[in-house]
Amino acid sequence: MNAMNFLRNAFAGRKLATAGFIWLCLIALAAIIAPLIAPFDPLEIDPVGRLAEPGWPNLFGTDHFGRDTFSRAIYGARMTVIIGMGSVIVALVAGGAIGMLSAYFTRLGHFLMRGVDVLMAFPALLMALVLITLLERSVFNTILVIGIVYATTTARILYGMTLKLKGEVFVDAAICSGAGHTSILIRHILPNLVSPLLVQASFIFAFAQLQAAALDFLGLGLPPEVPSWGNMLSEERIYITRAPWLLIYPGMLIVLSVFSMNLVGDALRDSIDPRFKDDIAGV
Amino acid sequence: MTASTRGSKTTLRGSDHMALLEVENLEIAVSARGKLLPVVQGISFSVDDNETLGIVGESGCGKSLTSLAIMGLLGGTTVRITGGSIRFDGMDLLTLPEKDRRAIMGNRMAMIFQEPMTSLNPVYRIGDQIIENLRQHQSISNSAARDRVVELLTLVRIPSPSERIDSFPHQMSGGQRQRVMIAMALSCDPKLLIADEPTTALDVTVQKEVLDLMADLQKRMGTAIVLISHDLGVIAETCDKVAVMYRGRMAEAASTADLFAELAHPYTRGLLNSIPVVDRDVEWLEAIPGRVPTLEENLTGCAFHPRCALATELCASNVPATTEFKPGHSVQCHFAGKVAS
Amino acid sequence: MLAYTLKRLLTLIPTLLAASILVFLFVHLIPGDPAAILLGDTATPEEVAQLSAEMGFDRPLWIQYFFWLGNVLQGDLGTSIFFREPVLSVIGSGAETSILLATMTMVWIIIIGLPIGILSATKHGTWIDQITSSGAMLAASIPTFWLGLYLIMIFSVTLGWFPSSGFPSLSDEGGISNLRYLLLPSLTLAAPNAALIVRLVRASMLDVSREDHVRTARAKGLHPSRVAIKHIFRNALISVAAAFGFTFAALISEAVVTETVFSLPGIGRLVVQSILRRDYPVIQGVILVIVVLYMVINLLVDLAYARLDPRVSLK
Repeated sequence: MNAMNFLRNAFAGRKLATAGFIWLCLIALAAIIAPLIAPFDPLEIDPVGRLAEPGWPNLFGTDHFGRDTFSRAIYGARMTVIIGMGSVIVALVAGGAIGMLSAYFTRLGHFLMRGVDVLMAFPALLMALVLITLLERSVFNTILVIGIVYATTTARILYGMTLKLKGEVFVDAAICSGAGHTSILIRHILPNLVSPLLVQASFIFAFAQLQAAALDFLGLGLPPEVPSWGNMLSEERIYITRAPWLLIYPGMLIVLSVFSMNLVGDALRDSIDPRFKDDIAGV
Repeated sequence: MTASTRGSKTTLRGSDHMALLEVENLEIAVSARGKLLPVVQGISFSVDDNETLGIVGESGCGKSLTSLAIMGLLGGTTVRITGGSIRFDGMDLLTLPEKDRRAIMGNRMAMIFQEPMTSLNPVYRIGDQIIENLRQHQSISNSAARDRVVELLTLVRIPSPSERIDSFPHQMSGGQRQRVMIAMALSCDPKLLIADEPTTALDVTVQKEVLDLMADLQKRMGTAIVLISHDLGVIAETCDKVAVMYRGRMAEAASTADLFAELAHPYTRGLLNSIPVVDRDVEWLEAIPGRVPTLEENLTGCAFHPRCALATELCASNVPATTEFKPGHSVQCHFAGKVAS
Repeated sequence: MLAYTLKRLLTLIPTLLAASILVFLFVHLIPGDPAAILLGDTATPEEVAQLSAEMGFDRPLWIQYFFWLGNVLQGDLGTSIFFREPVLSVIGSGAETSILLATMTMVWIIIIGLPIGILSATKHGTWIDQITSSGAMLAASIPTFWLGLYLIMIFSVTLGWFPSSGFPSLSDEGGISNLRYLLLPSLTLAAPNAALIVRLVRASMLDVSREDHVRTARAKGLHPSRVAIKHIFRNALISVAAAFGFTFAALISEAVVTETVFSLPGIGRLVVQSILRRDYPVIQGVILVIVVLYMVINLLVDLAYARLDPRVSLK
């Protein structure tokens, strides 16, 4: 599956999805070069200029500590990217490995997938809350928790897909030519899973943002000193009437980013192998 | 492979009266990637009451699309009728308002499809599905409809019809489901039945039963039948006249007797030769060389010329016109009739 | 049908047991002495030691599990550190709110999500479809608490149409009209879920419309709306029904955020507060209740599946 062709096909004629993709690239860019483009230090307090309206020099206004909202938003993009990619990595690696191996080694698989079933008996947010209780608040733990939450559905999905692939003729052919398990898994099965994995990754990225924001809002997510869009909403919640901009900007950023990721995931999903379309109905 | 008594019934085109179904210069195109690709390019044929027309050709020649076009099932943005006319029972189907079109569908014109396993709705009982057709076109009470359905099921030789009427499709075999489809199609006594490869997905023994059933029903009800198939043998056994399609054009058309008496088109000769015969030992199965070109490959001249043994430069550059090889026997070939028999 | 139900119940039991083991281990996974945790920060070492002996924390883990399980089956889920009441009654007092909220939300999801999804599918390819599809995706991208805050701002603070927090019980004065306290919260919770249902209905119906039996239905000359509802939607319902079940289950946990925003005395808010208060018995109890509920819902979904699809064997 030629990756470039796949991407190009996915976005052909889909203006919204392409726009979403561009937005995400901008976010990623902002995250990387944050120190260069942020006009102020996001942690710098200015009690005098607190709750200032958007304008110059504070493009998005200031919050109740007098911190520049625009700069915090830019640094918040970092958290968005970190949380998103981190959760995706955890979910795909853990869930993907479990799902793939369970399908490939059937006896082990039955046992493992029963375990996954049990874990799936715990609704997503609840599981996140439970895990957070056991761990202290940190960026790493938030990523870990959200990643684990989505690892279960990923495992399920990869399980189904690998089962389908295992039954295909080319696997039999590989076995006949003496290929070992690792070789078959890596060289034959895995390449076919790349595109569905990409789709799954984009949906997880999107949902991870919402989960992280929810956790932040409840005071159980990222530590409060970390600038993230979710934290910004959580802290400024009581100023909704006095300084509505404090909630509009971070909120819109979250909505736009999640929306973009969903659009991208949707576009990718329409371009993947039709066999797998049923398996990925979104996370 | 005789079709003795059948061939003499009617001629293929132009009797004085209007045939039940008259298709003239039908053109269908598919829009793919912004371009309009012609799939059916000007075919004409007619069918009369009590007649069976067989349309034969390889996959992709456009025969299925033609049948869907007649039936009015080409709904959608990708496939469209781009020219020609279809007249049914004196009505111009292509200009008919949608409401009137639907009044005909399932009522005076009906269709059965290739895949009986998936052509019935899995969540409703088969009896209810036939009743739905009845009550759509006739004002009939539910109980009267039920009685009629039992009649129909008996007609199509489904055992224990009064019990089977409440079966779900998945509780029946492929052959039985196809019979149910036939019963449903004939429920309102249509004048025309279009059968798109009705037996292709069935076992050979079941095939014969279904074809016999259709012939029997035609005798009883006088229905005209358009039978579509890629199997020349099936066509030969059951049809009064034959139309051979290749890549969207009508290569040859004649009554069955005339066609098998004297083949005029090299493609038809190729089709005939590739049928294995049971009672002869053959070393090679003859196949027509080459393959059917894809939709997008634009060809000049005769569509068949790349695969034709008789092809010359004339064939490569000029599309042959439809000529009357013999009365009632039309061909599209520059060298019509020059195939060795 | 009864036999099928019983059979499914039986397969449920091992999973329930496994989940209960995880829930039981929860308290023991927390670093520190379980007895000290249960008693909270204010306990003296003597009290801790006493509870330890009483609760049998010195016994092997699996024996403790069986005792715990025994208690649970008799309805004793422990005692809340914060409320000093049985956990079960603490949960019970929040149940009314949560159940009503979830039900109202489901109602919104059905009456908003289904028609729009069907519309989107039948108008596939037109601008109506584009707008509803993109709109649905947008709605699914909005964080619930943000939506909730803005609904409060517009409808409670500015317009004053609806209350913004709290929920008096239906048995208090006001009766049924107290449901208006749940209007904004249920709408907030419904929005993203309805959006997902719209997308699912649309996708399922489009898939079904490509199936052969739909072509047969059209060949019968049926009116397009009859084809859309009785044939396409009825078949799509099979996959959609499953999603409804899971949505209801997901609502239980998503309600956490909404209850917090609107200060509703429900189980969700109880969980969050208990986490912040380190009231482990309550956390454990709530998780157990929710897990059991989740599984019951899964079972109901299976049964609905069997009813909707005649091909599902009841063996």
